[in-house]
Amino acid sequence: MPRISRLLPIVLVVALALLAFSGCSKKPVAEPVAEPLEDTQALRGEDVALTPQPEETVYVEPGAGVFEDIHFEYDKYRIMSEDEATLQRIARWLKENEDVKVLIEGHCDERGTNEYNMALGEQRALAARRYLIGLGITAERLNTISYGEEQPLDSAGDEAAWAKNRRAHFAVSD
Amino acid sequence: MRVLTKSVIGVLLCAAVLVLGVRDAAAPEVYLSITKGFGEKIIVAVPLFAGATGTVRDEDMRSVLSTDLEYSGHFSVVENLGFVDETEADDRSSGRVAFPEWLALGAEVLVKGDVQSRGTELALEAQVYDLGQGRSIFTKRYVAQPSQWRALVHQLADDIVHNLTGEQGIARSRIAFSSNVTGTKEIYVMDYDGENIRRVTKDGHAAMYPSWFPDNSAIAYTRFRAFGQEAVVIGLSTGAVRRLSWSPGLNAFTSISPKGGEALITLSRDGNPEIYRLRADGSEPRRLTHGPSTESSPCWSPDGRRIAFVSDRSGSPQIYVTNAAGGSDERMTYRGSYNTSPDWSPKGNLIAYTARIEGTYQICTVDVETKEVTTLTTGGGNKEDPSWAADGRHVVYSVRSKKKTDLYMLDIHDLVPVRLTSDAGDHESPAWSR
Repeated sequence: MPRISRLLPIVLVVALALLAFSGCSKKPVAEPVAEPLEDTQALRGEDVALTPQPEETVYVEPGAGVFEDIHFEYDKYRIMSEDEATLQRIARWLKENEDVKVLIEGHCDERGTNEYNMALGEQRALAARRYLIGLGITAERLNTISYGEEQPLDSAGDEAAWAKNRRAHFAVSD
Repeated sequence: MRVLTKSVIGVLLCAAVLVLGVRDAAAPEVYLSITKGFGEKIIVAVPLFAGATGTVRDEDMRSVLSTDLEYSGHFSVVENLGFVDETEADDRSSGRVAFPEWLALGAEVLVKGDVQSRGTELALEAQVYDLGQGRSIFTKRYVAQPSQWRALVHQLADDIVHNLTGEQGIARSRIAFSSNVTGTKEIYVMDYDGENIRRVTKDGHAAMYPSWFPDNSAIAYTRFRAFGQEAVVIGLSTGAVRRLSWSPGLNAFTSISPKGGEALITLSRDGNPEIYRLRADGSEPRRLTHGPSTESSPCWSPDGRRIAFVSDRSGSPQIYVTNAAGGSDERMTYRGSYNTSPDWSPKGNLIAYTARIEGTYQICTVDVETKEVTTLTTGGGNKEDPSWAADGRHVVYSVRSKKKTDLYMLDIHDLVPVRLTSDAGDHESPAWSR
């Protein structure tokens, strides 16, 4: 319920914009409002298929402030409660910037086998994606890539470094 | 009755031709006079080759042949080279093989070679003797470009191994792997003994997880593009790259079927890492696994009828086997909470994999029938990602130290690891050619 009230202003803006664009046409303007705000399938943790993107799609580093990395426990890929605020902020931003697509990168610390970490990194990216779909972002805008343990942020090899390296990072379409 | 008589005569005639073939020794067949029990070695003397090439040192050729024979696991090479070379000098001056003298060195088999430059080519004529029987086992001539002298010696070694043991030699096999020595992970190929390292991918995109086609002509691998991963195939002689799979998400751990017509791959396009089977041209992908857990790292059984893979459906990654046509899964590993990267032995009986044991990653095998687990490696340094040689006796895997990762091979009977790489960089994800 609080989520709907927060989104209400956005929906109104969209509706007004559509009204302005439609000009004299008689098309009904209420349809966009009917979009589901939550994807219960994704919230239940069910699989939501990825959508092929045009290969020309260029992903860049997002501006500071919204797209912070989220982090994971060792060998795990469930979203931690302290990262939910970040994901909600990202979802709000994506609703305000509907042309933007996101490539979610999944990363691991260097412990564990290289091969299994590649699969684990993908699961982390998919977990972040599922959460964003659950917040109402259309699945087609969200794709994933795993880098496994290939791109550590910190190579110190201690607990603090490992914690930093276990992350989902966000890149946005240019 | 008449029919039976005819067929018996036919069999006898065939046998006669075979025996003549061995005596004639143009194409070595399996020689049965020397048989060894499990773990016993055939003792072989390797004198310096006669002749001279002007380009390749005879010491180098002997060294490669001796190493090949010892690495095969079937041979022990006579170490006292002073006596070996003296006996060989006596043979050359007398013009015959002094069998009692060679036997006195403790040898059972003797390999003599005569190497000559012929035009632009190198010719090696090798003679292999059964010293106990006092007779030749086979004689064979090998020709190659001088730059290919290692391949020429490897071929002789494989012929000796096959002739005396009936097993397939691995001296001409190669190992593909990824290395970041240039700063980007690329695919490389080297000889099985670590020589002749050659870079295969050069397009600047990170490349990982090589998998051979069974005719050794091409390698499938995962390439990282700006938009995501794709599985591609590179032809080794042409360098031409074609795409195999470019679904959104994971396109990783391709495994080419034993006959080369199909591939297994891990894709996440349906929203979760699952195993798919497709044709080797990338068409007709079919999903084999289902469920909310991670299914990954597939490999084929040697008959192509079953697959092994990793799943975390039990709460931790474990090795499973299922029918390649789809069907119910069987869990293979129960010991420990982290068992990954399976590779099915070409002999069919074992699956090698990586296990976390007391905080360190080691190479293990599990018997497909009994599920008996054997730990092959010990000590510090994380070992990962075993790949079988065609002989079903050797595995190659990576060992991570503090600064770098190197490849080692191991004879699963002798359990003495041999380091194959020594240059800078991380050498990972080895795949042994057939």
